[in-house]
Amino acid sequence: MIPFALLLPLLSGLPVLLSLACLAGRSPAGILRLCAVGTAGVSLLFAFPVAVVLAGGEPLVTPGNWIRLDALSALHLMVLCIVYSLGALHSPGYFADEVRKNTLDTAAARRYGGLWFGSLSAMLVVLLSNNMGVMWVGIEATTLLTAFLICVHVTPASLEAMWKYLLMCSVGVAMAFTGTLLLSASTGPTAIHGNESLLWTSLMASAGGLNVTLVKAGFIFMVIGYGTKAGLAPMHNWLPDAHSQAPAPVSAIFSGFLLNASLYCILRTLPIVEAATGGHGWGREILIVAGLLSILTAAAFIVVQRDLKRLLAYSSLEHMGIISLGAGLGGAGAFAAMFHMLSHSLGKSTAFLSAGRIIKAYGTNDMRRLTGTLAASPLWGVGLLSSILGLIGTAPFAIFLSEFMIVRAAVGSGEWVTAALFLLGMCIVFAGALRFLLPMVWKPCDPKPVFPKATVLEHFIVILPLSALLLLGLIMPDFLIKAFASAAAVLDGAR
Amino acid sequence: MTAYLDIILVALILSDFILLGSGRLGNCIRIAAWQGIMVGLLPMATADAGLSFRIAALGMAVVALKGFVFPRLLNRAIRESAGSREVKPFVGYTTSLLAGVLALSASFWLDGRLSFPLQLESAIVVPVSLSMMFTGLFLVVARRTAVNQVIGYLVLENGIYALSLAIVRDVPFLVELGVLMDMFVAVFVMGIAIYRINMEFDHMDSNRLAKLRG
Repeated sequence: MIPFALLLPLLSGLPVLLSLACLAGRSPAGILRLCAVGTAGVSLLFAFPVAVVLAGGEPLVTPGNWIRLDALSALHLMVLCIVYSLGALHSPGYFADEVRKNTLDTAAARRYGGLWFGSLSAMLVVLLSNNMGVMWVGIEATTLLTAFLICVHVTPASLEAMWKYLLMCSVGVAMAFTGTLLLSASTGPTAIHGNESLLWTSLMASAGGLNVTLVKAGFIFMVIGYGTKAGLAPMHNWLPDAHSQAPAPVSAIFSGFLLNASLYCILRTLPIVEAATGGHGWGREILIVAGLLSILTAAAFIVVQRDLKRLLAYSSLEHMGIISLGAGLGGAGAFAAMFHMLSHSLGKSTAFLSAGRIIKAYGTNDMRRLTGTLAASPLWGVGLLSSILGLIGTAPFAIFLSEFMIVRAAVGSGEWVTAALFLLGMCIVFAGALRFLLPMVWKPCDPKPVFPKATVLEHFIVILPLSALLLLGLIMPDFLIKAFASAAAVLDGAR
Repeated sequence: MTAYLDIILVALILSDFILLGSGRLGNCIRIAAWQGIMVGLLPMATADAGLSFRIAALGMAVVALKGFVFPRLLNRAIRESAGSREVKPFVGYTTSLLAGVLALSASFWLDGRLSFPLQLESAIVVPVSLSMMFTGLFLVVARRTAVNQVIGYLVLENGIYALSLAIVRDVPFLVELGVLMDMFVAVFVMGIAIYRINMEFDHMDSNRLAKLRG
């Protein structure tokens, strides 16, 4: 397996080259096409190592132990590839009118393409690194590289969102670095030394001997730090602004993967903390509380929301809370959390991409004025309707199933209050979102806005993730069951 | 060499207080630069480690970045703007100084509660770095001007850097380089952001960045 593992760093170099290619691009349309083809290509190449790890269960490790792909990171890598591909394939269509009107000039398109691939490679660094320090470097790099993607269209509001995002996440992620240092310092009593003190594998191997006080302090710093970027309440203030101001493909990767990448860092640390504190669930409790707090905060804001993209952003906050809650419950809950992560990213990116087109045609974000979308554009209307129905947990979709599994896990472990609060949050979100969704889809609209004709590819990239979301709710292939189970096993302390 | 170390640490605390009580942006940038240089010299002032090439190279890189490159980037960002003073901070300067005193005593209290495996000889490294982190956070929250918030971020980072010297046995070289590069890009990106905000708002009061709510 060793020669195969060496493919990972080589493949990760590819987005860097593509990023440079974008910077040298001549026309905006050409650069956007390069984004689409390049991202899809990179994703297809990464499908091999992901399939090998998820099917075989054995992690891929390079000599020197710096790069490692296990079930948890492979599952995240799969989601990363899906979300980035969806976003990139949508970009040429989404920006088509701006390219025609020349509001997106070559310089802006170059910046967009360069940062797109740059952030992709930074995310790969996060997922592939076995070193917690390098993982942190990757997360900070994603913050910096995605900041200017928010203000592709320079307006006062987008600058405000960008500044808030940049400052809050930089400060938050700096806290996470302090946590990483404390974790490294906790190796004092063990035989780990030098370079190894930040390697996830060696921390796991000697977790029993770590200095417990420092591990606990480190984990708290990391939950606050990475949690700021993952959008966990009460550190979520930047999230609705950034998501609502960014262009749709960028919102899709923000919600579909940027948050997950940061949550991944917390999930990565969880088994170390659990093993070091004796497995009494000290770390899990923190995630459960953070998760419930995020779900209830999101529910409160969804009810009063008038802006479609902000509604979707708060829904992301809710779903990050659900994943964190599931991981905190452990066992069946961790399985459900992994399942939920995949379904949420599928649903949320489709929702943002469809909402982006609709908002462009109507010229407003206000849900009270976005009416009759289904009649105005069957494709984007169906995309918005089914993805939001899926996201709020309507029955046959996958998210209903994973939420149901989380409730069962909570009840199974005797956490009745947790289960009740979770259900309360779900009900509020369901009712709050449905109130606007129905008129948005069916209430007649006059005059009908004009949508550009959707291409075959666009039909394909809306229908495909939605049918996956539906099918996953009805039948789950053995391959995925195994993948979720082995990723959940990593959360529960398997190496 | 412990004497040098203690002198640097005390100077770091003093620079914190000057930043807390100062309103002129140019002045703040200069003080932050000095603080960066002192933090960069910190690893070289330790006796036992000896001056290996690695420590010297990293120290020089930190001094060059924090002492010279960052202030230049920030100065360029504010040159275009009309005002060079902090405009009515959220928290007044006297209160800020009091908060600084509070942060310092809290740091000493916290240091007594946590048992760190110390790497440097001075007993006050950890409390000083903790108080720098608190001061940095305070500046980010309490100041209105975007540049001053960036300075707060830099002070926070300086504190974390000093803490890492004190408690971590060996941060891998690659990680340290990565962290430095990230910091450089961060200040670079923030500089451009401030410039853009200037162009759009004609003055960089981040409090005007308050349209997005709810």
